[in-house]
Amino acid sequence: MNQIHCRINGSPVAISSPGTRRLLDVLRDDLGLTSVKEGCGEGECGACSVLLDGKLVNSCILPVLAVSGGDILTLEGLRETERGRCIIDAFAETGAVQCGFCTPGMVMAAAALLFEHSDPTEQEIRIGLSGNLCRCTGYDMIVSGVALAAERGRGLW
Amino acid sequence: MVDAYYPGSLAEALELRTERGAIPFAGGTDLMVKYRRPAGVLPELPGPVVLLGHLDELARITEEGGILHIGAAVPLSVIESDRRLPYLLRSSASQMASPALRNVATLGGNIGNASPAGDGICALAALDARLRIAGSQGSRSISLEEFITGPGTTLLREDELITEITLRPSDCTRVFYRKVGTRKANALSKLSVCADAAVQDGVITDIRIALGAVAPKVLRMKDIEESLRGSTPEELSERIPDVLAAYEKHIRPIDDQRSTARYRKTAALRLAEEFLRNLSEEENRE
Amino acid sequence: MNDSISNPVRRVDAYDKAAGYAQYLADMKFEGLLYGRLIRTPVSRGVLTGVELPEMPEGYRYISAADIPPGGENRIQMIKSDWPVFVSDTVRYLGQTVGILTGPDRQRLHELASKITVHCRTQEAAYTIEEGLACRGGAIHGDDNLFADFHLKKGDPEAAFSQADRIVEDTLETGFQEHVYMEPQGITAEWKEGKLVFHASCQCPFYIRKAVAPSVHMPYENIIVNQTTTGGAFGGKEHFPDVIASALAVAVYVLRRPVQVIFDRREDMLYTVKRHPSQVLFRTALDAKGRITAMDIDARLNAGAFESCSPIVLQRTIFSANSVYDIPNVNIRGRAVATNTVPSDAFRGFGAPQGIFAAEMHMSHLARELGTEESEFKRKYFLAKGGKTVTNGTVREEVLLEQMWSRAAELSGYYEKLKAYPPGSYRGIAPAFYLHGGGFTGSGEQEIINGKVRITGSKDGSAEILLSNVEMGQGTATTFSKIAARVLDIPLDRVKIANPSTARVPDSGPTVASRSIMVVGKLVERAASQLRERWGGTSDESVLVQYEHPPWIRWDQETLQGDAYPCFSWGVCIVEVSVDPGTWEVETLGVWTGHEIGRAIDEAIVHGQVIGGVNQALGYGGLEKLELSGGGFAQHTLADYSIPTSLDFPKVTSFLVENPYEYGPFGAKGAGELVFDGAAAAYAAAVQRAVDRKVERIPATPEYIMEITEA
Repeated sequence: MNQIHCRINGSPVAISSPGTRRLLDVLRDDLGLTSVKEGCGEGECGACSVLLDGKLVNSCILPVLAVSGGDILTLEGLRETERGRCIIDAFAETGAVQCGFCTPGMVMAAAALLFEHSDPTEQEIRIGLSGNLCRCTGYDMIVSGVALAAERGRGLW
Repeated sequence: MVDAYYPGSLAEALELRTERGAIPFAGGTDLMVKYRRPAGVLPELPGPVVLLGHLDELARITEEGGILHIGAAVPLSVIESDRRLPYLLRSSASQMASPALRNVATLGGNIGNASPAGDGICALAALDARLRIAGSQGSRSISLEEFITGPGTTLLREDELITEITLRPSDCTRVFYRKVGTRKANALSKLSVCADAAVQDGVITDIRIALGAVAPKVLRMKDIEESLRGSTPEELSERIPDVLAAYEKHIRPIDDQRSTARYRKTAALRLAEEFLRNLSEEENRE
Repeated sequence: MNDSISNPVRRVDAYDKAAGYAQYLADMKFEGLLYGRLIRTPVSRGVLTGVELPEMPEGYRYISAADIPPGGENRIQMIKSDWPVFVSDTVRYLGQTVGILTGPDRQRLHELASKITVHCRTQEAAYTIEEGLACRGGAIHGDDNLFADFHLKKGDPEAAFSQADRIVEDTLETGFQEHVYMEPQGITAEWKEGKLVFHASCQCPFYIRKAVAPSVHMPYENIIVNQTTTGGAFGGKEHFPDVIASALAVAVYVLRRPVQVIFDRREDMLYTVKRHPSQVLFRTALDAKGRITAMDIDARLNAGAFESCSPIVLQRTIFSANSVYDIPNVNIRGRAVATNTVPSDAFRGFGAPQGIFAAEMHMSHLARELGTEESEFKRKYFLAKGGKTVTNGTVREEVLLEQMWSRAAELSGYYEKLKAYPPGSYRGIAPAFYLHGGGFTGSGEQEIINGKVRITGSKDGSAEILLSNVEMGQGTATTFSKIAARVLDIPLDRVKIANPSTARVPDSGPTVASRSIMVVGKLVERAASQLRERWGGTSDESVLVQYEHPPWIRWDQETLQGDAYPCFSWGVCIVEVSVDPGTWEVETLGVWTGHEIGRAIDEAIVHGQVIGGVNQALGYGGLEKLELSGGGFAQHTLADYSIPTSLDFPKVTSFLVENPYEYGPFGAKGAGELVFDGAAAAYAAAVQRAVDRKVERIPATPEYIMEITEA
């Protein structure tokens, strides 16, 4: 067992767990943060995306010990912020959501992208989302959602 | 039982490596996939791991006397955007995996994993990279080419860790990078070609060609490269068929779930040819 | 802005999903939950000789055929019931369910599962269509391995062939395709007050109820199926959930505790159903002027180990084997071939994509052979109103393909590009035309489904729609609500629609066959208009309506003759590509599509279907290689099985042409499958033009393109 201290959605958290346990399992099973989805369990689909110190990571292949001292943001945290609301609204408005299973991960990827490029081109958006698989939308409307969030949220990013 | 260690320093990491036989774990993006189990089940790693990704000593990029030192645990996302680094390396880093994986995956891990399809390895091979290896008895330096002995096998000893990758400056400016993947992003390599050359006063003064995923390890044929140095582009042009024939003899790809041996070989030769042709046709560019 | 119903609204489920509030099966909490792991056969074909179990700690159980309760039968009731819940003797495919291991802790369960050894005597297996037809290792099904063998005849093909100037032969092939719904398969079952209750990620709650009833010998009223918010399905959750649910039914019947099975992605990719691989052989008779006079078509589908819905999929394939073309004389044979692979099953398009790929590519090959420009050649044969289909049914609507073609050609710059990129220039542009029959084949809606829909109005002014069609991403929660709100003349947010429970909703049929809007939406429209007559928004009222068949339909299920579908939706797709001459990698430069789906209930939702369907089809055409390897699949991770990412294909240009259909709500016809049917053929034809070699199969991977260009 390892003792891990980190911040999750702004609050300090102490976790007692085997260090190689997947961050995904800790977030979902121990903390009830179920916006974080498991789509593949091997870092290929991005449904489990969260931010670690502002960077997009796949929580399904991150051992919990590796986030020691880190700051983790899930959609449960992001949706309480103005930035989060801006992306969520833009997604809802542009038809970026279909089955919704990839959507929380997409929103996190969009946030990571916008934190870095406040005014991304279409190509930059596509690159930013390229690790998040969606089988429903064919991506175009998600790309529009991110572009709308960038435009609407000017000053937020 | 402790299954993972979080050392406070490189020295501590080495100690854990030596005394507990802990497996080096940088970003873990290969290990966590290889040993994954279903939801709610711990990964079945073959032994305890020592986490390295957080160690400052391994996370720096520095330049001393023209030599670049890249910490083994620098994430790929940093590599792709650090303009001090060679374009070839940055290009290859930017096309590896996905943004989320690039935030975690490292060159040290890529090297330690020693996959024949490791994209970073192919670029580093073309750049004549050397490695700094730290051990309980001190550190040593070894060329990447020597270090990787085959698919998944290296000369890393049980008390050692890769600490940095060193690159000497080169005059090469004719960069050619092509990754042929299973799709356009978030893809594994079917094959890759990393090449580079320098041309001065109408003469090829340096040339490197590394072919990835077409043999048990990255294929670099230094004798051929040596024989091309000093050629003019016209001379190179005449040599291209022979050069390709020589490569063809050493390309020994496999059939697998991602591609076929025939495709790997044919495409690798085509791309090598494209690089050589470009070089041979550019005499008036200087 | 006009007040057309097609004007987009914000989807009713968008916010909860985008903000992460939506609860999928894995997110739900169940008191005292046990986890289940399916234990599988290690061979593709043979006989089960024994199962070696480790010592079971308290709370862990292994449940198998021996645990089926008295009166219960070891079979899953699909259309047929050849698929057993648990293997008891004969093994037909690798990974077939032998038992289910249950227990409270997933770590412990995993350790125990890895200590179970399933022993089988191995027999020679048949994996491919050829091996199936040859009955390799002896017949798997019947004495000829054919789940179905259909024949169709239109006109007098024998006479036409006897007078042919020449005959052109062609063989087209398509591969397996994996659904890759982002949420893997999963079901939780529990025992509640004498009832067996399922919570399932699924398309067809009533199918599950029917499927599990025989195994636990329980009446329908004691089995409840609740659909959980479903993270994609595409046909993969039409019948396969029956397989998991049946094993769970037996386990929960025995244990009286909730048990959950959620597949790991690899498990899902290795052991769930796939799209049928196909082989379609054409012989086409041409007259001296190069006109098609007759076709002889032999279509074969690899159906896998059990029948499931393969005969009906095969019907779609052969009914689509002339695509949008009116060929005067046609002979078609279709066979669904049993093999020892995981059963093939429903996947968006349901057999039509295979038939249409074959027909479009064959037409394209004929145009090449005759030296005619492809679109011009194809357009000469377009079906028109009054034209006859291959089942001798009648096309009853105006066919607007010419108008759609002009627009698509203009938007894409087709003719300019055609001139700019001659064949073999490593740039190519090509069209595909397609259609999709709406609803169940033939008389299925009337004789098998007979759907019912209820709408209740409350005195608080809100209305609730009760039906069994599920929201799985395709937008039905929104579109049904829009239809009801519009007819009842109340705001959209006053209409409620919940995930269906068989205990609460009437059976409006399965969420399949592009029937949800056209057929069930019509029921919603009718129920709403009846409700409106007697409900002023101040009382509690309820209306139940039942399906009525369009009166003109003539169909004979025995001979497969007549109107196979009441109407068709139509599409055109143009794809432009460039092929790298060094690596044969394909870059898709543009995709232009036009669709005629009657009328869109919501344009944004339809465009979402179009773009998603086109991307899935481009993946099918170019990327998604799924090869058999020792009875399993070589590509069984999302790393090796490549579905499109955001960078693989460009933005899709999509337009709609209106042509309202009388028997659809507000004139709507089906859309969800149509949009998948054509893009793979357009892609393949564009690649074909780029390299000036016949493309005969998909996926047209760089490896394949190299083979044909370097041959």
